[in-house]
Parts: sequence; C-alpha cells; structure tokens
Amino acid sequence: MGECIRRSPVNFTAKPKRTENRGDWEVVLEYDDEKEGPFLIDLSHCPKWDLQDRDISSFTPFSIPIPEEPGGSVFDKGILINRMNKTQASIIHIAGDAADVPEGNSYTDTTDASVCMALTGKNIFYIAEKLSSLNFAGMKKEIPFLLQGRFSHVPCQTVVLERNGFSGTFLFSCSRGYAHDMVHAVFDAGEEFGLKPAGEKAFTGKFMPHH
Amino acid sequence: MSLTLTCPICGERNGYEFRYGGEDKGPMPDSKELTPETWTDYVHNNNSVAGVQKEWWFHRDGCGTWFTLNRDTTTNLEVK
Amino acid sequence: MTRLENLPTLKINSEKALTLHYGGKTYNGVQGDTIATALYANDVRIFGRSLKYHRPRGLYSLDGECSNTLMEVDGIPNVLTENTPAKNGMQIKAQNVLGIDANYDLMGFMDKLSFMMPAGFYYKTMHRPAAVWPMAIKFIRRAAGLGKLSPDFQINGRYDEIYPDTDVCVIGGGPAGMSAAIAAAEFGLRVILVENKPWLGGFFEYRTVKDKNGNPVCMRAASLAEKIEKTSNIRIFKPAAVTGVYNNNHVVGFQRGGEKDFFDRRYFQIRAKSIVTATGCYERPLLFDNNDRPGVMQIGCAHRLARTYGILPGRNAVFSIGHDLGIETAIDLFDLGVTISCVADTRDDGQDPELEKELAKRDIHLLKGWAAVKAVGWKTLKKVVIKPITGSGEHRLECDLLVASAGLTPETGPLTLGHAKLKYDNHTGFFLADRIPEKMHVAGRLIGLNDPLSIEASGNLAGLRAAADCGENDKDGVRQAEKNLASHSGPGRGSKFISFPGTGKKTFVCFDEDATLKNIDQAMEMGFNVPELIKRFTSTGTGPGQGRIPGHNLALYVAHTDESPDKKPKPTKTRPPLVSPLLATYAGGAHDMSKRTPVHEMQKAAGAKMDRVGVKTTAYDSQMAAGGKMERIGVWNRARYFSNDKTSRDEIENVRNNVGMLDASTLGKFRIHGPDALKALQRVYVSDLSKIPEGKIKYSAMCNHDGCIIDDGIIIKKEENDYYFTTSTARAGATVEWIRYHTRYEGWDFHLVNLTDAFGVINLAGPNARKVLEKVTDADVSNEMFPFTGYREYFIQNIPIRAMRLGFVGELSYEFHVPSSYMQSLWEMIEDAGKEYNIMNFGLEAQNTLRMEKGHLIIGSESEQRTTLHDLGLGFLWDRKKTDTIGYFALNQTEKQAGRFKLVGIKMENPGSEPPKDGSPVVTDKIMGYVCTARYSFSLNEPVGMALVDDSLAEKGTKISIFEDGCNGDLKHARIVNMPFYDHDGTRMRM
Repeated sequence: MGECIRRSPVNFTAKPKRTENRGDWEVVLEYDDEKEGPFLIDLSHCPKWDLQDRDISSFTPFSIPIPEEPGGSVFDKGILINRMNKTQASIIHIAGDAADVPEGNSYTDTTDASVCMALTGKNIFYIAEKLSSLNFAGMKKEIPFLLQGRFSHVPCQTVVLERNGFSGTFLFSCSRGYAHDMVHAVFDAGEEFGLKPAGEKAFTGKFMPHH
Repeated sequence: MSLTLTCPICGERNGYEFRYGGEDKGPMPDSKELTPETWTDYVHNNNSVAGVQKEWWFHRDGCGTWFTLNRDTTTNLEVK
Repeated sequence: MTRLENLPTLKINSEKALTLHYGGKTYNGVQGDTIATALYANDVRIFGRSLKYHRPRGLYSLDGECSNTLMEVDGIPNVLTENTPAKNGMQIKAQNVLGIDANYDLMGFMDKLSFMMPAGFYYKTMHRPAAVWPMAIKFIRRAAGLGKLSPDFQINGRYDEIYPDTDVCVIGGGPAGMSAAIAAAEFGLRVILVENKPWLGGFFEYRTVKDKNGNPVCMRAASLAEKIEKTSNIRIFKPAAVTGVYNNNHVVGFQRGGEKDFFDRRYFQIRAKSIVTATGCYERPLLFDNNDRPGVMQIGCAHRLARTYGILPGRNAVFSIGHDLGIETAIDLFDLGVTISCVADTRDDGQDPELEKELAKRDIHLLKGWAAVKAVGWKTLKKVVIKPITGSGEHRLECDLLVASAGLTPETGPLTLGHAKLKYDNHTGFFLADRIPEKMHVAGRLIGLNDPLSIEASGNLAGLRAAADCGENDKDGVRQAEKNLASHSGPGRGSKFISFPGTGKKTFVCFDEDATLKNIDQAMEMGFNVPELIKRFTSTGTGPGQGRIPGHNLALYVAHTDESPDKKPKPTKTRPPLVSPLLATYAGGAHDMSKRTPVHEMQKAAGAKMDRVGVKTTAYDSQMAAGGKMERIGVWNRARYFSNDKTSRDEIENVRNNVGMLDASTLGKFRIHGPDALKALQRVYVSDLSKIPEGKIKYSAMCNHDGCIIDDGIIIKKEENDYYFTTSTARAGATVEWIRYHTRYEGWDFHLVNLTDAFGVINLAGPNARKVLEKVTDADVSNEMFPFTGYREYFIQNIPIRAMRLGFVGELSYEFHVPSSYMQSLWEMIEDAGKEYNIMNFGLEAQNTLRMEKGHLIIGSESEQRTTLHDLGLGFLWDRKKTDTIGYFALNQTEKQAGRFKLVGIKMENPGSEPPKDGSPVVTDKIMGYVCTARYSFSLNEPVGMALVDDSLAEKGTKISIFEDGCNGDLKHARIVNMPFYDHDGTRMRM
C-alpha cells in the first residue's frame, strides 16, 4: 500500500540536499548547489486560508489585524495576510509555530487550492515584467502589498515583500493545476537571469532568520 | 491592449483582465409583471449609445468584483 | 571596395571581416554593416525586382522605407536588408526574380507590358471569360509578389516579451528624444527611450556640421548619448521599432536582439504615464521619370553610406534636392572624394548662406529653382535630365549617382495612432499635429524644427511637460524651457515642389506596389479622387514600407490636381503595425498554460492519452471522435484513452463487469457560505434547494435568462448557510462571476470559495467498487448505511474524504473528493486494494459511452446555446414557484413551445452500421437536428446515440435520416427509441 503523504504540485529537477518532515509533507529546505540567486522557491506546503466575512475588519487571525485597505498586506511572525477586496482576505502561514489555527465558518482551508511560490533575489522584477503587465516595480505602495491579476496569462495573487529597484522578493500563487506550466514559464523567463530552484530556507532564512 | 479600466479595488488595469457585463439596466423587473416585450427589452435589447454609457465590468483575473463605470464608446476610454 | 577610414562617425569595424553568400558568390563585409551595405560595398547595385514590372531596384533609403532591398535571408523572406545587421555566413537570395540574383531577371520584360496593367488592374481585368482566371492567377502569382515562405519553414531563435510600466516613454532617440529623456529623468522618473537604430543620435549622429554653439552635431549626439547611457533610470530599447500606440498611452513594438542579448526579437508593451514622440523626419521622394533607378537615392542614404559605413555611394553625382541637408551632404561627399556635377535645388531662395559659400569654395554649381525631370539608364544610372521649374532649358548630365529628395516628411505614425489630429501647414509643408491628446508631447523635427539648438530645446521642454504629467510639475523650469526654445529659430520654410507636371508613366509614387503618377491620374479620372480611395484602388502605400515612400506625396500630388474636390492636402490614415514584425515576435514566449490534475503523471505512466478539456463545444467532441488531434483548447489535461483502441472497449466492459477508476478532478467545486448563501443558490439553480436532506446530494441545473441550460451539478448542504456544490469542468471558471452577477443589485451577504483545484476527484465505479472500498476504510459503506445519492465525510488514514454515491456511468459508483495534496496517496491505496479484482483505469472516452448508454447528458454535448431545460426532458428539475430564478420567465414561455429541438435516443436502422459521427445533421429536405453523441454499445451490441431533433421527429419510432460528413449523399437511417438504453430501472447504480 502506498504511503499516506501530501505532495506539492511543484517538482523541481534539482536534487534536494536537506529535507524536513512537516505533518504529512516532506519539505525541501535546501537543494544541492544553490549558491547565488535569483531563486524560485516552492511554498505550496504552507497552510493557507480564505477568510470572507462582511465584517472582516473584526477578525484577527493569529492575533494579527486584517489590513484596512484592499491591496494591503501584512507580514508578521511568518504569517502573511492579504486584503483582497471589501470582504475577503487570504492568509498564508509561511514560517514559525502557529498555536491557534484560525477556526470558524468564515475561514476555508485553501492550502491545496493553489500553488504558492516565491521569487527572490536579483532582477526578479525583470523576470516578472516578462510574465505580467502587473506593475511590480513601479507601484507606489507601502510594502508589502498585494497585486491580483494575470501572471503568465493566469489569474494570480502576488505579494511584493521587498523591493530594491528590480531586485527583491515576491510571492505568487495561482490555481494548483497550473503548477507545472507556471514553473516552466517562470524558469523560461528567468533563464537569462540565472534563475534557479531553492529550498524553503532561501526564503525563511531571509525573512525569519531566527526560525 | 487598447482598453484600460479602473477597478474600484485594484486600480487601473489592462482591459483583458475584465469581463464585460453589459449596459447597466438596473435590477430585473418582477417576473410576474413581465411581458415577452419587456422581458426582451431587459434581457436582450441594448441602447448601444455612441457616447458615454454606464456599464458593468467584472475584475475576473483580479479581485472578483462586479462594478459599474462610464465608458465613451466612441473613444473606448473610461470617463471618470 | 576599401572603406573610408578615420571618420568619427563610422559604425563599422574594418578589422573584423564577415562573409555573406548571395547568388552563388561570397561577399566580404565588415562588422557593423547591414546586409545591404555589405553588398553595396561589393558593387551590388540591384537588390531586387519590383512587384509588377520587375524593374531593377537599388538602395534608396537606409531605414526600411520601401521594399527595394527586401531579400530572403536564411530562409526568412522579406527581410529588410538595408537595416538588418549582417552576420557572418548569412545565406541571401533575391526575391521576385527569375534567375540567380537580382541582376538578371528573365521576367524583366514585364516592364514593357506596364501599359497592360493600369490602375485597378486586379479589380477590372479577367472577370470574363471566367475560364481564363485560374490560368491567369497562376501566372500572376508567379510573376508578381515578394518573398516566398516554405510551408514547413521553422523559424529559429528566441522570441521574448515584456510588459514594462514606466513614467515617461520617449519614442525616438535623436537629439530631441534624448533631451526629453534626460529632462524627465532628472526628476528621478522612470524613462524608457525607444530608438529604431542600433545607436542613439538620430540625424545628428552622422553629421559633422556645427551647431550655433560651435559643436559638431555628431559630437553633440555622442555626449547626449553618453549621458543617457549613464542615467540608471533611463532604459534604452534599441534597435527597436514602435508598431503601435494605443489608448491610455500603451506603446507597443519590438526590439531586435544583438549578440549579447538573450533574445532575437522581443515584443514589448509599455504602459506610460506620458509619451514624448520625437520621431523626426524621413525624406520626401522627388518624383520624376525613372525615379526608381538603381543609383537614385535619398540624401540621408548617400550621406550615411559614407559617414556611417565608410562607403562612397558613387563616383560622379548629381544632386536634385529641396532642403539644406542636401547641400550639406553634397559638400561633405565632395570632401570625401565624390565628384559633384551640380546641385539642383527646387527652392528659389532660402538656402543657408554659409552652405552656399562652402559650395562656391568647391566650385560646385548650385542651380536654384531646378529639379530632375528624368533619369536615364536601366540597370545602372547613366544620365540625369534636369530642368528649371519655371522657364525653359534643360541639362543632361552624366552620372552614376543621383541624390534626389524633395524635402522632409515628419514621421507622424505614432502620433496619429495615439489619436493626434493632423493638419496641413503651409509654411513647413508638413502635416503637423493640430490636436495632441493629453499626456502626449511632440518635439524636434517632427514639429518642423531644423536648427540643432531648437531641436534640443524642444526636446527639453517636452521632457519637462511629460514630467509634469507624472506629478513633477516644475513650473519655473517649464517657463525657462519655453523661453529657451523661443530664443532659437522656429520651424523652417519647406519646399513644396515634388514633381514636374506631365511626367508620370514611369514616375513611381510607390515603389512597393509599382504605382506611378499615371496610375493616380487614371484612378482620379475614374472618380477615385481622394487619397483614401486612390490608395485602395491603386494599392499605393499598402506595401511593406507601410506607406513611407508615397508618404505625403500622394496627398500633396492629389491636392494640386484639377480633379481633386479638396485643395487642402489630406493624409491617408496610418494603421498599425507601423513596422512589420515577424509573426514569431507576436507569439513571444508563447507559454502554454494548462492545468494538470494531481494524478496527471500517474495517469500518463499508466498509458493515458491526454486531451485538453474544459472548453466544451459539440464541434470539439465530434472532432475528437473523428480522430482529430485537438491541442491548446481546454484548460485541463485529461486522460481520454488508456489504449490505442478508440472505442475503449476494455475500459467500458471493466466498469460494467468489474471495477474501474476515473480521475474526475477537473470538476468545478465550490463552497458557498454566509447568511444569504441559500438565496444566492436559489437565484441561479432551477430547483428548490431549501430542503436538501442531511447526508444527501441534490442534482440540479443552472439556466440563463433564456431558459437555456448552462450547467449541471450536485449541491450538498453541509451546515446551515454552508453548501458545497459542483459544476461541469467547462463552467467552473465562470461560476463565481455568474452568481455574483445575478445577485449584483441585492447586496446579499454570501461568500464563494473556488475549491476546484483544492480537491482531486476519484470516481470508483463498477459492481466490485464496494469491495475495493471496504479494503481501505473502516467506515460502513454498505448500501444501507451509504445508499445511492448519499453523501458522507470520513477519513481514510489521515485523509479527509468527501464521498458521494452517484450514478453517472450507471453502475455502483463512489465519488471521492480528496485534498489535492493527498490525491496521489489515496489513488495508490485504492489501486493497491483493487489489484485482486484487476482494477483498471478508465478515461473520458469510456465514461462518455457509459453515461450515454444511461441517457445521462453532458452540457455542451447534448446541449448547445439554444437548448432549454425542457428540450432535454429535465423540466422536472424546475421549481415553477421560484419566480426570481434566472430563466424563470423563459422556462415558463418555452414549456409547451412547439418547433423546438428535443433530446431523443436513436438506434440505427442497420445495427451493423457504424455509429454516425457526433455533430452529424439530421435532415429531411432541411436540417432538422443533429446527432449529439453516438457510440457502439457493447452492452447492446449495436450502435446507439442521443440526438437533438425537431419535435415533429421526436416521437418514438420515427425514422430519421442522418447526413454524415463525407457520406456523399448516402444518408444513414436511424429510429427514435426510448432512453436509457441500459439498465432502464437504474437498479445497478442502486446496488
């Protein structure tokens, strides 16, 4: 009988160097020969929730208030919350221990609904520019912020976490079924910039150095 | 490419991200009072003005909101 | 030919040689050459033959303004060799030539036949006798035209795309454009500068004359370019062509990749807050007899051949010009070693006195008020005839080069595409922008300026104004820049002369289409007397040069004729693309985005033949059934067959007799919650959903306002105000917008979550399904505890399962909705458990036949745009008490409407015949319906199917005739029968 494990829709061809079991997931912390970025990192194993409620401002998942304005995001203690519209937010638990998983009828576990990846390092916004007309590099907004729109032709939630000219970090997630083609498109666009796959550490090491 | 729309949630975006929802005709009249003529008017007949019209758009690839805006059909530009 | 050396303006590296192959010979060029300049340096003078008359054509401009130098390069036809960089080893072929190179063309006699091809030739001739047409067309196709593309040609290279956002986009990297970019960038704004040459500098770049500050303009260009290249917030796209400018300041074009670039072509779509167009001018051709002879070229072409590429354009030259640039070039070429017989200038006065002095110093004769009237020669230029514009007399001058130009024409393409309105300006002789849209600015020669300092000043001002559009409103700076511009010379007076009257038979107004002034006259005589009509009737300006050679000449010529109803010149409309890109450029990265289910790889490993599904049309299914290969249509990849047997017989019989597994993950899945969730469902579903029992599924359908069915699926009530429902694969993407649209005025409090990709779906079906399931779960799945149409939630090991009992394929059947990340694990468990029963995969095709035998329908197969709920016999789903359900009114109206297509079952009159192809029309003396799905039924041992037929034919026992594609009038016959075909009472799915 097969193993009872959870699988990410993303399969990098690189060889994992360090992995960690988390629940039924096997998470790659680092791949062989990572060296310099820019990196593409799979975060599909991170728990995600959809929160919808007419009175959304009264919610404080993980004790974090929901950003007031649609398009606003908050990234705190490994939890990312994005305000999508008047009544909706997405929540991603990226790193760190989280004692209280959000509960209640307004939440839906959407961990498996989307594939979630991060692009981090030099020139990543040049890569983004090849895949999307979303204005990552020029948007005058307080970081982090959310852009919802087409990325490589399919609807995506993208969150800019840091930006320095055309370098920085952003997260993007789209319907899970697109994972294979999305990875292909991003690597194709990133080839000229030396884009490589990296394990979760390349992300958490940056944003959660004590994790 | 030639259409830019302002989503009330996401701001100015490429028209390709949106679904057109037709002229704004208000809520559907009560079914019990409809005649085939008034039903056709509501469901199928349009004013098709050459000029500014109020219309519905859905930010399909973005925040998922239906909203109305005014567009000049002769220039294909939004009128704010 | 040895190249000129030590000129500061050269763009070639004579040290680095390269070779080109053309017409069986090898030619040497140098690094920096274009293909045409390399050939020109080797004394190639004829580059191609003209479209209709096969006239020899030579180098005329260097900016791709006409088809003269179009050649086939490395298999790609219609390459503009005059501005395509030469690369070592290129294979070059002449086009529209019957012979080995353009020098000898067996079709050259066509020129003598030009009298047979008047204006509108294609419209007027060969209508009768009709039998001549096929032969004539064969001849014309061979005799006329440009390059040929092999049907199996595969283009190499990398085609990229970018969608940059910027504050200011400057179109044109000449002195004005560079000044504008620098001015805007000084505020820290993001600037993109688009230049069509491989270097910045525009018309400053190859000229050594000094501006009023005493700086040679080429040095000025170099210093501006250096500054631009050092400014980090200016991005330079070069060499890059703008193909279009669209609403809201979208600038679209493509960049050609250099050796260090990662791409061969890169499509770009720039969104800018403000645009500066500084596109400068191209030259206005002077029109005279044989103005297309090899050896006749424009001022800039001759000048740049020498200054940029180190090639003397000829030995003995005559100039016939209408602009100071011509005088300047004559002086410069003289100094570089060209003999100049004389300079004929169309202008009587207004020449720069300094230039006149320089001419006099060199003993070059300047004839004011004179112009060329005829060129003599065939393959090369022998002589030029010049005449005074008023008065009599003529000179016949021997020469091998005629530098001819009537003046300048502004490049207004991007401006007019951006909705600027043009108006003829009598002073400059230009069409100038009269009304410029907001957030668009013009600068440089485009507005008629000639003086280098004015040009820079106008660029600076435009840059400041563009910055103001982006919120950097430096009012003092703008005022200062306005003053500065006003202190320099304004627009210069332009020469209006373009042609002597009375010429025309061989005076080419458009090289691309071989259109002469005589053709224009003919068109006008026939009543096509305005430029837009003449353009269409004579094809003038519709060729690859996109109208740049006829440019404004057509409008100017027409306005001066007696036939013209309008004495004010009117330009023809410019349309994108301003420069023609390769189709591969538009294809760009062409990332094909489709979805894969969580068990995609497993299914492939099991031998699945994958198809794309999700955009369901009847055509799709019928084409698939006909063995068509459909790609890139649907959103999802799905397994259709697991063997090469297109009937999927093994898969079908295994489900009927044993147990099979289907990956149905592509189903749409949604959660709806919130206080008004039920109201929203009641609005869109035709059934009453207020009383769904716990632990049960409810089947229902959605209709549009017309009562036509758009979707079907099941609804489960999980809790109060909390439902889970499914949609068809194709409908999943539109479900959220549909429900929100039809509740948009109410402001109801409900929330939708699209869980389509969150769950994989396994359909376990067949009489042994329960036995397999019992091996993987401890839950009681007996028929009593988990009956048909039941819904249960339980765990299989750690995996939370939503399980339901459905009967789509007509057997005992379970559907498991599994978190996608666990899908593969569960699939493997069930597969392992099923091994002892020889469990098998089944695919879409097997499912299609299985459900068809049960009379179960698929939206899009058994329905189309006009099919109502009633037509399908699904009226029982409709709750007529729900008056505000979408479709209520039409369902009421159409319930008993006659003359509609109804869904029926059919059996073939001849049970031995093949099932008709899906989509085949049902006919009497007209079309009376069509076959939706028909397959050979292995349960019944005969072909059966479903069809939508006119209600007059829908009665049981009616005989119908089916017209199958390719049947050659030999109709198939079938009879209407009852459905379902299999297990009429449905006992098998209730086992």
